[in-house]
Amino acid sequence: MRAADEPVSQNSRVRSGIAGGLIAAVLVAAAALFPCGTAKGQAPAADNGIHLGVAACAGNNCHGAVERLKGSSVPQNEYLIWSQKDKHRLAYAALLGERGIRIAKNLGLPDAQNAQICLDCHADNVPQDKRGREFQLTDGVGCEACHGAAVSWLGVHLSGAGHRANLAAGLYPTDQPAARAQKCLSCHFGDDKRFITHQIMGAGHPPMPFELDTYTAIEPAHFVVDQSYVERKGRPNDVQVWAIGQAGDLIHRMDALIDPKNAPKGVNPELVLFDCQSCHHAMNQLQWQPQRGSAGQPPGRLKLYDATAVMLRVIAARVAPDAAKALGDHMAALHQATGQDWAAAQREGQAVRQAASQLVPALAQHDFTRDDMKAMMTGVIDVGLSGDDTDYSAAQQAAMALQSIAAALKAYGYANDDQVKGMAGALGGLFEVVSNDQTYRPEAFVKALADLQKTVPQ
Amino acid sequence: MRSRTVLGSIRIVSRLIQATRLNHAIGLTVFMACASGAFTPAIGQTQGQMPAAPFPAAPGQTMRAQASDGVHLGVAACAGSNCHGATEPIAGSSVMQNEFTIWTTRDKHRRAYDVLLDDRAVRMARALGLPDAKSAPVCLDCHADNVPAEERGRQFQLADGVGCEACHGGASTWLGIHISGVSHRDNLAAGLYPTEQPVARAEKCLSCHFGDAGRFVNHRLYGAGHPRLTFELDTFTAIEPAHFVVDRDYVQRKGVITDLQVWSAGQAIALVRRMDALLDPRHNHQGTFPEPALFDCQSCHHVFDSLHAPRPTATGLGPGTVKLNDANAAMLRVAAQRIAPAAATALATHMQELHRATDTDWTLVQREAGAVRRAAVELVPALAGHQFTAQDMRAMADGVIAAALNGGADEYSHAEQTTMALESLVSGMRSAGFLDDGRAQALKTAMSGLYESFANDAVYRPDAFVKALHDFQRMMGR
Repeated sequence: MRAADEPVSQNSRVRSGIAGGLIAAVLVAAAALFPCGTAKGQAPAADNGIHLGVAACAGNNCHGAVERLKGSSVPQNEYLIWSQKDKHRLAYAALLGERGIRIAKNLGLPDAQNAQICLDCHADNVPQDKRGREFQLTDGVGCEACHGAAVSWLGVHLSGAGHRANLAAGLYPTDQPAARAQKCLSCHFGDDKRFITHQIMGAGHPPMPFELDTYTAIEPAHFVVDQSYVERKGRPNDVQVWAIGQAGDLIHRMDALIDPKNAPKGVNPELVLFDCQSCHHAMNQLQWQPQRGSAGQPPGRLKLYDATAVMLRVIAARVAPDAAKALGDHMAALHQATGQDWAAAQREGQAVRQAASQLVPALAQHDFTRDDMKAMMTGVIDVGLSGDDTDYSAAQQAAMALQSIAAALKAYGYANDDQVKGMAGALGGLFEVVSNDQTYRPEAFVKALADLQKTVPQ
Repeated sequence: MRSRTVLGSIRIVSRLIQATRLNHAIGLTVFMACASGAFTPAIGQTQGQMPAAPFPAAPGQTMRAQASDGVHLGVAACAGSNCHGATEPIAGSSVMQNEFTIWTTRDKHRRAYDVLLDDRAVRMARALGLPDAKSAPVCLDCHADNVPAEERGRQFQLADGVGCEACHGGASTWLGIHISGVSHRDNLAAGLYPTEQPVARAEKCLSCHFGDAGRFVNHRLYGAGHPRLTFELDTFTAIEPAHFVVDRDYVQRKGVITDLQVWSAGQAIALVRRMDALLDPRHNHQGTFPEPALFDCQSCHHVFDSLHAPRPTATGLGPGTVKLNDANAAMLRVAAQRIAPAAATALATHMQELHRATDTDWTLVQREAGAVRRAAVELVPALAGHQFTAQDMRAMADGVIAAALNGGADEYSHAEQTTMALESLVSGMRSAGFLDDGRAQALKTAMSGLYESFANDAVYRPDAFVKALHDFQRMMGR
């Protein structure tokens, strides 16, 4: 989180390498309860109402104000930020671009802008009978794609009844990390209804890196954590958002792995579950290293994407050591099983999912101290420095993780100005290293980590 | 038979660098290794001398389980200065007699064992959990003449790499007769391996350059650092470099053997080998992935910004699927279209079904692999015995180019095989007197462009290859 006088939309995060990979896409209608359970607050209500369209929120005395109106609990420029800076606004437009046309052609679709498989994440693609008079599909991922159908809660919301009453009326609790993770990941990874398969990737869809806290910041967030926010929603913590985001990501991944749709048919299981660079590397740049996190795996095997599991293990080692061990053991068994027996892989996937699910309430209740933050920063750095995991995907997640922890240290006043400046400089170097998957070199990553290590506040 | 000059760099990422003759050098990225002599030629012979053993249908057998071909005496037995170790051709001899000298000074087979001692091999051995490469059968079986200890003569040295008897067979059975000056036929009868016969040569070379029941460079070896294997029999015969000269004397003893016979036999046997490997239960679908080495390398190993623009007509597979390496099949189909059109259709149909099956059902994969294998086996006698005319060669060159322009060029493996095929065709046309010097010179330049367009397998650009192919096509003229 940031200081009250520093809008997150202008946060100091290093964006290089991340913003480029952002595929603006957030969910349409989350009907399901969060599978790992929300830890605080009630579960989000089902979103079956009519979506009124962004126009319903954009009034200049509502969320379309250039300046904050006196006495308002929010800055009121939320619509403007979305409309001007947020890629979600351009999600539909992307379907009309050169890449969208090419992908549609490769998939044998007449076009992208009418294909459900594209619209489900590139627009607020609710059924016709749930679209209000001012609703426009071309608005992309609009307000109600994330906040839920306004028809059910707009009246209560305008009445000034308070955040709790809004939630009770059906506003989606995006402020709660577990709920936010669920919402964002339903598109930024996929769920049982929407899933970016390797077929879509092969047709030209860009890779989809994601880390909840970093992506909240670079969206850019259209909320400011000030006194009013804290009073109404509690004080958020970047480390907690990051941690719960990692657990949510792993749960979504394991759901996909367990899904019979993704089991091997002819040749392979669903390839999108695997580490991209496990295959997509030049043949003269070998990936296999003896001391890897996937140790025990012989060379020449495809490796499951495990970067979020590695991060979650660092988190759990501090918060719930037993869970960390279970997670580590089952991930190792999962890696082993993927090359041998898919039924065993599914069983281990279930066990990993369970370990991650159990961590969510612990993470949601945990009070992250300065020592926790420092220990996690050191833990993430050690994964790379020890050579345990220097894959591109691990490096990318590590950079975003360290960014989130540094943001928390700053927001909570656990680092002074010089320390913040030092970390920011070193993080800049780190993001530089992970900015391009083709030119990525593990040695450069390790060096950037060593530089960052020197800036961790003592 | 022509000779080609190896001038290229050896590194896998920049293979062909230059060529001074029409016939190009492609640097050998691979260890050149034909292995121990214990090998039974398996496919039906075309010229009578080969044992007519059936093709091994069940690839569970290991090489070492096959019959011994006698004691291997070691290269010293051949290297005498009045035998094959002469520095100059000796007058009145039926061969050049410098065969050992060529092998020892220029042939990479000579260094096959040595590379097991270098940095890459040390790294690979560590990755594979081996104490070292130089004593591991998985390495030695192709990097040396790794016959059992009791079949090694007094002067035999494993460190000689892939020596004479690795390809020509254990000399103890035929050396006496050979020195007595009997006919080639008598040598063969005594056990000399018929390397001059295209099918037998293909069998021998491919037993290492692709693999067989006992030896196979699988993806685990690749992942540990082994360079990518690539092979085309006629081109690799030339760049070895060949230690024979096709003169009148050669033709009298061994017959006329053309580049196109060698090329087409090489393609057919390579495809048979691939299907054997696909049918091998050890390479099967063990829960998840079948043996990745059977698939097109660049199907996975490409960077994101060079998406494989899928052409559904080529394989029927959609985007994002992993594709079997089908370059040999594509080449064989071109040859078959000219020589045996019905077989070409069968081959194409079953290859299409095979591709489709890889995305749906592994038992179907095996069924179709069996059908492709049968089609390839049936083509062998037709191709190996065919006398390729100028019209045949011209039609095949057009066919190879058309296959590439019709989607084949999307694949690195196709580009590579297309280029080697065209080189064999040009060489064949020139040998047969179908090309004048001017045209040959023009094609030499165009051939350089082709090789350069895919010299780096890490950043293959189909458009560069297609452009070079159009240049070649223009030089060919009508």
